[in-house]
Amino acid sequence: MGLLRPTDGTAAVLDMNAWTQAVQVHRRVGYVPGELALYDRLSGREHVSYLGHLRGRPAEAAAGALADRLDLDLNQRARTLSKGNRQKLALVLALMSAPELLILDEPTGGLDPFVQQEFYAILREHTAAGGTVLLSSHVLSEVDAVADRVGVLREGRLIAVEDLPSLREKSLHHVVARFADPVAPDVFANLPGVRDVVVDGATLHCSAPQSALDTLVKVVARYRIVDFQCAEAGLEETFMTFYGIGGGNAA
Amino acid sequence: MLRSVFAKTLYDQRRGLPAWAIGLVLLAAMYVAIWPSMRGQPSMAEFVEQMPEAFRALFTMSGADMSTPVGYIQVELMSFMGPLLLLLYAINVGTAAVAGEEERRTLDLLLSTPVGRGRIVVEKLGAMVVGTVLLAAVLGVALLAEGRLADMDLPAGNVAAAMLHMTLLALVFGALALAIGAIVGRPAPARAVPAVVAVLAYLVNGLGPIVSWLRPWQKVSPFYQYAGHDPLRNGVSTAGVVVSVGTVAVLTVIAVLGFRRRDVGS
Repeated sequence: MGLLRPTDGTAAVLDMNAWTQAVQVHRRVGYVPGELALYDRLSGREHVSYLGHLRGRPAEAAAGALADRLDLDLNQRARTLSKGNRQKLALVLALMSAPELLILDEPTGGLDPFVQQEFYAILREHTAAGGTVLLSSHVLSEVDAVADRVGVLREGRLIAVEDLPSLREKSLHHVVARFADPVAPDVFANLPGVRDVVVDGATLHCSAPQSALDTLVKVVARYRIVDFQCAEAGLEETFMTFYGIGGGNAA
Repeated sequence: MLRSVFAKTLYDQRRGLPAWAIGLVLLAAMYVAIWPSMRGQPSMAEFVEQMPEAFRALFTMSGADMSTPVGYIQVELMSFMGPLLLLLYAINVGTAAVAGEEERRTLDLLLSTPVGRGRIVVEKLGAMVVGTVLLAAVLGVALLAEGRLADMDLPAGNVAAAMLHMTLLALVFGALALAIGAIVGRPAPARAVPAVVAVLAYLVNGLGPIVSWLRPWQKVSPFYQYAGHDPLRNGVSTAGVVVSVGTVAVLTVIAVLGFRRRDVGS
């Protein structure tokens, strides 16, 4: 957003230099920062008026419609708003002037599930109309709900860009199987993709990405099963497994 | 009301500015109220005469006679309280302009709009100019109107000239606060540096005539541009105006360049 000067190299947004052409970039981009701040003494409506004028595109009507959909009262001062309502106001302010590109940093923190769904619907309308959304999130279900393509950031580097189906193939599952009789570990240890195999008498613990589940289950099925559990691991664990240690940050 | 950064900055002061104005009206009223007990009192002049030379240099301007309206206002209001209050206002507003918004983190929001950093600085400075001019005008008008009630006749033209110079004095330090805030991004230095510089400039101007090694520096002091030519007696000094306006312009350019070059936030 042209807030930080590049220490090295360049950053481009919509083919424009993010630092030297920041003003032109801002004309076409809506932005919700991760740590958002609002003018405490201004009401929602005053925020709408001020930012609308600064963007040269007053958007009272659009903002009113968005506020209704997100169930936000624009007459309250920002100071009196709850965390969720502040977040809603920030979203309204970013969305109201219909920018081509939305840059959203953890946009749904503090929103209740119903409003989140409405917000995802708004994002889908935005992309259906030809717009782009760049959303950063730590929440797998959110990424799952809205993303077409996922980039993985680790320690400031983009280490992978994948579309959602291929990411889902990698999503890690923990499998626990209890058999009627003891089994040999090497039967499972050599299956492609299966890892962390531990066999304790008649019980098998292992992890496998979604793509390896079919083979694994077919091998497991050769034995008599007493109990079988398969749970999807969190996004973070999937990332830690496939991209090394460190917090995952999907955009 | 919220059509631009300029308008919004003034809108933010919709309670602060009237409060300042009322304060200045009351201040003028207080000095006017004391006036009848001071007028025609030669002892006051003697009192001033008996003060140590350094004190006299600091608190009076070129041999003011406290028993005349002009001399009285000059000593009591123009040499200290008036500039002090106007400086406080301008430094506060200058600090709030960039450093204040940055501390409250609202600068991120403002900078995400298609308004360039240079324009933000200039519009905020514009709001500071308007606010300072308004306050100086209120003080001047209050002085003249209230003075008339107490039979204290002041030359309107020269009062206006003194207020013009006082405005410029305040703007120099307000612009300094804005520039430091724009470059550093923190309110503490934006407030402290102009305050310290103002005290030094005040001392240099006051003591310049009697301390030989300070003398060459006296003319550099913004307080010299403000009062060196005694505006309440002699009206507007073109040189003083030019130097002050030039200083504000240079500080604004520095603020814009510094603000454009640096990182904001995180």
